[in-house]
Amino acid sequence: MATIIIPFPFRKHTDSQREVTVSGNTLSESLEDLLKQHSGLQVIHDQPGLLSIFINGKAVAATPDEWKNIAITDSDEISLIIPIAGG
Amino acid sequence: MSWHHEIEQIVLPDAFWGEIVSHCKRKLAGDFLPGESEVKRAYGILAGVQEGKELRVKLVLPVKKNARNQGPLKTYMDNMMTEHAVASTTPLSQRGWITDPEELMDCFQQCDKQNLQIFGTYHMHIVPWEGDPIRDTPTVLDTVLAKDSNLFSFIISMVDMENPSMRAFYEGALEKPTPLIINS
Repeated sequence: MATIIIPFPFRKHTDSQREVTVSGNTLSESLEDLLKQHSGLQVIHDQPGLLSIFINGKAVAATPDEWKNIAITDSDEISLIIPIAGG
Repeated sequence: MSWHHEIEQIVLPDAFWGEIVSHCKRKLAGDFLPGESEVKRAYGILAGVQEGKELRVKLVLPVKKNARNQGPLKTYMDNMMTEHAVASTTPLSQRGWITDPEELMDCFQQCDKQNLQIFGTYHMHIVPWEGDPIRDTPTVLDTVLAKDSNLFSFIISMVDMENPSMRAFYEGALEKPTPLIINS
């Protein structure tokens, strides 16, 4: 089971949990499992292009089509990053 | 669930306030660090700990890069500027800021290592507006960009550079100010 680190802005959708354990052999499956567990996180799809994904600290391809080709192992730590913006 | 209702005040130790003001003054002076976006705007991240009903700042992370004109972030910011920014002589492409994902990831990792929680961002206002000479409150654009961020927006008034001041607003909302105590 891999771990997904939830960015602070989204913890309101995970009962303040910092991390969520997910099943899945690919990044796509892991994110699907995350959304099954915490449906409020559908917001990550609200702003296409804003979500960045890091696996074990390294940035990975950003397009959802590529997520299904990215293998995930139990020891992987997936971080979701949404940028912070201001005027 | 939103957590800001639990917070009665935010404490910013003098030393960190000094770091923030120095950051603002350095950027305004055009003194840029290697790899830093050469814009006369300062923005950064505040992290710390929650102690009961108080948030205490323990780390100031000045943001170096403005990803305002990078790929999909540019499209997002252009749309936000067009819809919400007030008229200005500064071109829209030079207004607003957004963190670079890699730099933000570094910030998260630094905070994790120190068991700190990112709870806010700061940026400065420097130009007085008619009817708003101090500019220590969020603009409409600030509010829109901070919506649903779950973070406090700290607005620094640098209108009078010798007497800067700062206020905090949850998610950049004017109706959600939080007392900010600057002390030693």
